[in-house]
Amino acid sequence: MKRGWKVAARGLSSPFVFKFISPSAKKKWAVFFFVFPGIALFLLFWVYPIVKGFQISFYKWSINPNLPSIFIGLANYQRALRDPVFWLALRNTVLYMAITVPGQIICALIVAVLLDRIKLGRVFFRTVYYLPVITSWVIVSVLFRYLFAEKGLINYLLTDLLHLMPPIPWFTKPGTALTVIMLLGIWKGIGWSMVIFLAALQTIPNELYEAARIDGANAWHEFWRITLPLLRPTMVFVLVMLVIGGFNVFISVQLITGGGPLNQTEVILSYMYKNAFSFLDFGYAASLSYLLATLIFVITLLQLKFLRKPTEMYY
Amino acid sequence: MKRSFGVIGLMVLGTLVFGVMVAAQQQVTITFWHTYSVEEAKFLVTRVIPAFEALHPNIKVKEVTIPYDVYREKLLTAIAAGEVPDVARVDIIWVPELAKMGVLSALDLLMPDFGDYKDRMFPGPLATNFWAGHYYGLPLNTNTRVLVWNKEMYDAAGIKGPPQTIEEFRAVCKAIKALGPDKYGFVDGGTYGWAVLPWIWSFGGDITDPNMIRATGYLNGPDTVAAYEFLRELFAEGHISPMIVGEAIIGAFEGYAQNVYANLLEGPWVGPIMKSMFPQKELHLALVPAGKGGSVSVVGGENIVLFEGSRNKEAALEFIRFMLSPSVQLAMADVGLITALAPLAKLWENDPYLGVFMEQLKTARPRLVHPAWAKIEVVLTRAGQEILLGVKTPQQALDDAAKQIDQILAEQ
Repeated sequence: MKRGWKVAARGLSSPFVFKFISPSAKKKWAVFFFVFPGIALFLLFWVYPIVKGFQISFYKWSINPNLPSIFIGLANYQRALRDPVFWLALRNTVLYMAITVPGQIICALIVAVLLDRIKLGRVFFRTVYYLPVITSWVIVSVLFRYLFAEKGLINYLLTDLLHLMPPIPWFTKPGTALTVIMLLGIWKGIGWSMVIFLAALQTIPNELYEAARIDGANAWHEFWRITLPLLRPTMVFVLVMLVIGGFNVFISVQLITGGGPLNQTEVILSYMYKNAFSFLDFGYAASLSYLLATLIFVITLLQLKFLRKPTEMYY
Repeated sequence: MKRSFGVIGLMVLGTLVFGVMVAAQQQVTITFWHTYSVEEAKFLVTRVIPAFEALHPNIKVKEVTIPYDVYREKLLTAIAAGEVPDVARVDIIWVPELAKMGVLSALDLLMPDFGDYKDRMFPGPLATNFWAGHYYGLPLNTNTRVLVWNKEMYDAAGIKGPPQTIEEFRAVCKAIKALGPDKYGFVDGGTYGWAVLPWIWSFGGDITDPNMIRATGYLNGPDTVAAYEFLRELFAEGHISPMIVGEAIIGAFEGYAQNVYANLLEGPWVGPIMKSMFPQKELHLALVPAGKGGSVSVVGGENIVLFEGSRNKEAALEFIRFMLSPSVQLAMADVGLITALAPLAKLWENDPYLGVFMEQLKTARPRLVHPAWAKIEVVLTRAGQEILLGVKTPQQALDDAAKQIDQILAEQ
């Protein structure tokens, strides 16, 4: 049998390694060959850039590979800590995260609970709410710029239709410009969290609600005492993902304000991009991205440590 | 003995002939990166490159069209990877930066005939190729901004013709505002160099000294301050569209066509664009209003450069020469690209449209020809925003900006 297998293998001209190793080892090799493409891509396009970026952050990096890059130790990091625009960008990034994450979660939860109740048109509404998620950031950013233009739809509603206030020059002041960017972030993000909440809601057994109703609970009690506690693991997952996403805000800022006016709406990634591709300061840009990565890492660890309480997750 | 000499002689001869034949047949391919528009690229591919390849049968040109928005990233990535094109058409403001990076060849060292080109070019565009004692490119096409004035609005406001001076321009703005609160005398896209430099120079001001050593005393000198004070005043009185501070409002061309904007500064593309978007709107051009410094506009355009990493420099130089030859330069004018060769430009002197640009080009100046221009421009743009938004007075904002630019210049 064994010999026959060998002959067959030779006949099929399979890789020569197969001839010298035992069948169980062969299985392991086969596994290796199957995972190799994935591992190789991961190493090449994830690990290598991450390591290289870390190296670049310690250099005054020369783009031309024929000219030497100068090792400057922690100077790029020290510079970031003294750079007022970095702190401003960090403040804006944290502010964006702190407002858009709860905004998305609350809106998505409301929509998900409502959609969970209705039978008619659920698929339709789910699709409609999910649509912003799959549209391109570029398109919706430009769209929001038009909506909030001096003579755009929003100013028309506020001034000409509702007579609430004179038209707001949205992009001239940092506060209102950031508001537009945050509104876009919330609007575009609702669908993603909603789909996950909706899936989690459907796993909550109906008996719990029935039992509660028999005990005299109203809808309000049901939501606070049953729905919300049972959504906790989902909530932690959504929270962690949204916080990471919030810190990585870039395209909307780049396209809606470009960091202006006066750098006042700059976020870490737009400032990093500017340093790399406008000022050719790749070393400094790399150090900024590492500072951001460290911050995200620490916050995610803290979230997981304090929010995850496995014992009370399930009944 | 004699016979063997003969044999050796034959063999040497044979080798030589063979070698020459191989050399003659050896095909080289050069890569040319550019940002020509669809129309221009079509012209390049169907007319210019075939003509060059017919003239040089052993050279093939591989052209690559790259959209301007991603060009800078793409070039930088190519440089970092060591996979540069042979020849490229690049924005004039990038040449000193690329030269300092050490990726461009100094053309004045490589081309024995460089002087012929140098002497015939407009000085403004030529200057954009100069860094640290050498020329790293040649102007391929040039442009500048001129005043585009809206005759319909001028007529409605009872103004006879375009303003010659800055004082007249101010008067025009005031008369236009009388037409209605949402009419603007002037529109521009921001406070970056391309926008504010014509005003600074026409007021007699500047950003730095001619040697680009310091900005203090120039950027915050009385003439530059006067230019910004002029812009601040016009903006505060509602004569300049809030687009200049980033507000989302009707675009410059659209607003011109719909009689919202009475004046703008634009390059030669304004004609073709307006013709395709608003064919019935008449276009009227004039020189930039003159101040103490005269009527001085800003030079734009592209230079052609040779990369140090090119393996076929001789072939690449031949292509550069061909692109700068009168026949190609004249032909490219058909698709709206203005030559920087002054003797050729004379042909359009009396052209009602291009003639204005040619006249303006005589005094037009390049933005600071410095590798750190991108960084300097950020400081400049910010100072302009601070002034217009009233965060600082012109003098304060420019004092601060001058200090920062001094530091950037000293770092280089």
